[in-house]
Parts: sequence; C-alpha cells; structure tokens
Amino acid sequence: MGFDIKRFQGDVDEELICPICSGVLEDPMQAPACEHAFCRACITEWISRQPTCPVDRQAVTVGQLRAVPRILRNLLSRLCTSCDNVPHGCTAILKLDSLANHLAECEYNPKRPMPCEAGCGLVIPKDELAEHNCVRELRALIATQQGKLTDYQQELAEQRLVINEHKRELALLKEFMRAMRVSNPAMRALADQMEREEVVRWAGSLARARVTRWGGMISTPDDVLQMMIKRSLSESGCPLHIIDDLMENCHERRWPPGLSSLETRQNNRRLYEKYVCKRVPGKQAVLVLQCDNTHVDEHMMVEPGLVMIFAHGIE
Amino acid sequence: MANIAAKRVKREIKEVMKSEEIMGGAFKLELINNSWTELQGEITGPPDTPYESGKFLLEIKVPETYPFNPPKIRFITKIWHPNVSSVTGAICLDILKDQWAAALTLRTVLLSIQALLSEAEPDDPQDAVVARQYKEYPSIFAMTATHWTNVYAEGKKAIVDYNRRVQVLLEMGVEEHQARVALSTHNWNLEVATEELFS
Repeated sequence: MGFDIKRFQGDVDEELICPICSGVLEDPMQAPACEHAFCRACITEWISRQPTCPVDRQAVTVGQLRAVPRILRNLLSRLCTSCDNVPHGCTAILKLDSLANHLAECEYNPKRPMPCEAGCGLVIPKDELAEHNCVRELRALIATQQGKLTDYQQELAEQRLVINEHKRELALLKEFMRAMRVSNPAMRALADQMEREEVVRWAGSLARARVTRWGGMISTPDDVLQMMIKRSLSESGCPLHIIDDLMENCHERRWPPGLSSLETRQNNRRLYEKYVCKRVPGKQAVLVLQCDNTHVDEHMMVEPGLVMIFAHGIE
Repeated sequence: MANIAAKRVKREIKEVMKSEEIMGGAFKLELINNSWTELQGEITGPPDTPYESGKFLLEIKVPETYPFNPPKIRFITKIWHPNVSSVTGAICLDILKDQWAAALTLRTVLLSIQALLSEAEPDDPQDAVVARQYKEYPSIFAMTATHWTNVYAEGKKAIVDYNRRVQVLLEMGVEEHQARVALSTHNWNLEVATEELFS
C-alpha cells in the first residue's frame, strides 16, 4: 500500500499515484501490455480477486507483472517525504529512496531496539523500556530456557534408549557374523575380502601427503595425542576393524625392524621417500597403509599400516 | 474501516469537489454521519431525456474492502428506468458488479449512472415491467419516466393527463404511489389499473 500523499513536500505528479490505494507508489509494479503502474501490495491483492488490470481490465496475472521503468523509479526516489515517526517527534525530511535506511535508524522510532542499561543487557523496543523490569524479564527467560532444557533432557533420554537398543542389536549381529565366519570357510573368505576392500576404498578417499621434514617425527606420542589422531581417523571413515591396530602402530615399540630405533631410522632414511603417505585429515600426521605400500621392503612395513605423527612438516 | 478504503474515499471526495461536474451542478456528493462508509450522492437528470432537470438522490455504501470491491449504490429517489428497480432503487450496472475495477472512483461511477439515464440497456433490465414498456411502447415509457421525474425528483415538466388519472384513483381511496405504480404498469389504462387494484 502506497505512501500517504500528505507526507510529501509540494505536489506529487498524478503519474506517481497508485490508482488502487491513491497513495504514492510503493514498490511499484506494472502490467505488461498497458504499463499501468500500481503498488506491489495493491495490485497483488486486486489480482487475487480478479486477474485484470484495474484501469483497463486487460487480463493480467501476478507472474506477468514487471518492474517499472527506471525513469519512474527515479522520479519516485526524488520525492521528499517526512518520516513515519512524525507523531513521535521526528522532523526529518528525506528523499523517498533513503526513507528505509532512515527508518532503520530513526531515534524517534518507538520500536527501536535498545539495550537495557540497568544491568540485564537484554535488547528491547524503546517504548517498552519504561515498563521493563530486569528481574521479571530474566525470570521469564530462565523459565523458557528451563522448559527447553527439560525438553532436551527428555529427548536425550529417549535417544539413549534408542542407541542402547541399536547397540544390543549390533552386538547380536556381530555375534551372528562371527559364528557364520567360524563355521563356514567360504563366508570367512568373503568377510576377509570385504574388509580388505573396505580398507582400499577408505585409502582411496584420503588425500596424498608429503613429508617435508622426516626429522619432525614423534616416535613416542602420548595418550592425548593418540586420542586426537584416533578421533580424526574415525571421522575420516576409517574401517573399524583396523582402527585399533593402526593406532597401536603409531608408537615406535610396534614399528617394523627398519624403524624400531633411532639408529635404524637414521640408516634407512633414504627408504622413506618410497612411502606412499596419506594425510590424516586436519592433523600433522600421515598414514602409511600396507595396501598402498606393497612395493616397500618387508622390514619397513607392518600390517595393516603405520601411523606417523609429526611435530611439523606435512603438506 | 480499513485504512486504504478511508484514504481512497477522502481523496475521492476531494476529487469530486474539484471536478467540473460539481461546478456544472451535474452531481453532488456528501458524507453521512461523518463516517467514510456512508455517502449520499445526487445526480441531475441529463438534458433531452425524460429525466431532465430531475434531482436523483443515491445511497452510497463503501465496503471495508473498497476499492477491491465496488461501492453499493441504489437510488433513494423513485425513478422509472429499465435498469433501476422501481421498487427498491437497485441499479443494474456492470461496473457495480462483475465489471468493477479498482481504478474506478466514485466520480466515474456517478458519471456512469448518469450516462445510464441517457442510454438505458433494456436487454439487461433490473425492472422487467419498465423494460417491456420501454421496448413496446417507447412514447408511453418516455411520458411515464417524465411523470415520475416530475413527481419524485422535482422535474419541471408535468404530464397533466397522467396527473389527472392518478387523481381519479386517489378519489377512489387508493394510496397515491400505489395508484401511480398500477397506472404506470398498465400503460396508463385506467380500467385495467382499477381492476388490478380492487381485485
């Protein structure tokens, strides 16, 4: 609906008036053929009742409405109007195109959001500031939060129940699978095959990494560091049947003979370049998986692969 | 009343007040009870028609949904016209019904009603009795319309013969308007009208 014509300075040309609301065009749209212009809200309302142009009754649908020509928009934007908050004391006179910005910041706007300065810090409309009571508002806030908390707790309890059920079912399934594997060699071969393929698939999904400084290797990572790496592996989709073995292999006590001590490591340094390394996502660590490194000497590799953690130097 | 309707009506009254039609005395428009929902209009019968120099009062009710819905307008002054009910004053005019468009105003509607007085549409009647007479006995229709204008709308031209016939029925104790309706309906045949009234 258009702007009240009384708000404008001087005469407003008849062309800038909406024939429906008789106000100055607000967000104008025009009919496609006859080019009669109306406020968007007015013409949408009219078309919802009757799909014709209100001036000459040519057929029009909402989808056919077009933006008005630039010259019309320019003429509108140049009109000078008073602020919406005149009744609240604002005396500003503005170009129509800057009205929206002014309204957002007009200090006479009774609904302007103001932070309470009495200490609660809540942001409230200016006209409600006088009635505002920090304790009451905060109590209300606590009450709603409490309500939400109760809801979440309940949801959590329900989810736990569901998870427990799933766990039980999973355990049962695993048990079943194990029994099948033990009793049936073909099944065992199939399961092994599936596990191997899963590792290869996962290895394929990881990005290649390059170690620029082999000297930065941490051969005795502590538990916290190991936990961090394990979580990252798990998030990257590491198959569950190898994750514990892999993590065992991040410490020099489990490394192959070629890496087992500082001395052997220094002797075999040139062999490092042969390793195909995969990045542990987001960490200064690499995976040297056996499936990627069948070309490497046996004394440099263990099943199912190595985890090498570095202080720095991974690209 | 919805803001948009009040705003429109205010502006339209201003528009009518400034218009040539007011200056020329072709019509009037005023508020009733200072509410924007009820107005009274007055149109002058167009020259060279049976309605010439008559003053016809109109009741105008503006709905809350104006201008998305048309104003409701009826004649308060009794009028003999194919498109106006001689009983209720209801008007049959397309722009007051399905042909209403939001850009039409009270001024354009009043002008259309005035034009309807000059150019009746007997094929789309509001009053079938009047429409039949208009088609079958155009001269009787014209005189009847002139007579009604004279009696109810201060029209200057009196039809002496018709006044006399009404007078005859009055003397028989028939109510005046009832007598006029009976005579107008039966093409001023005194016998048939009397028969109908006393049957």
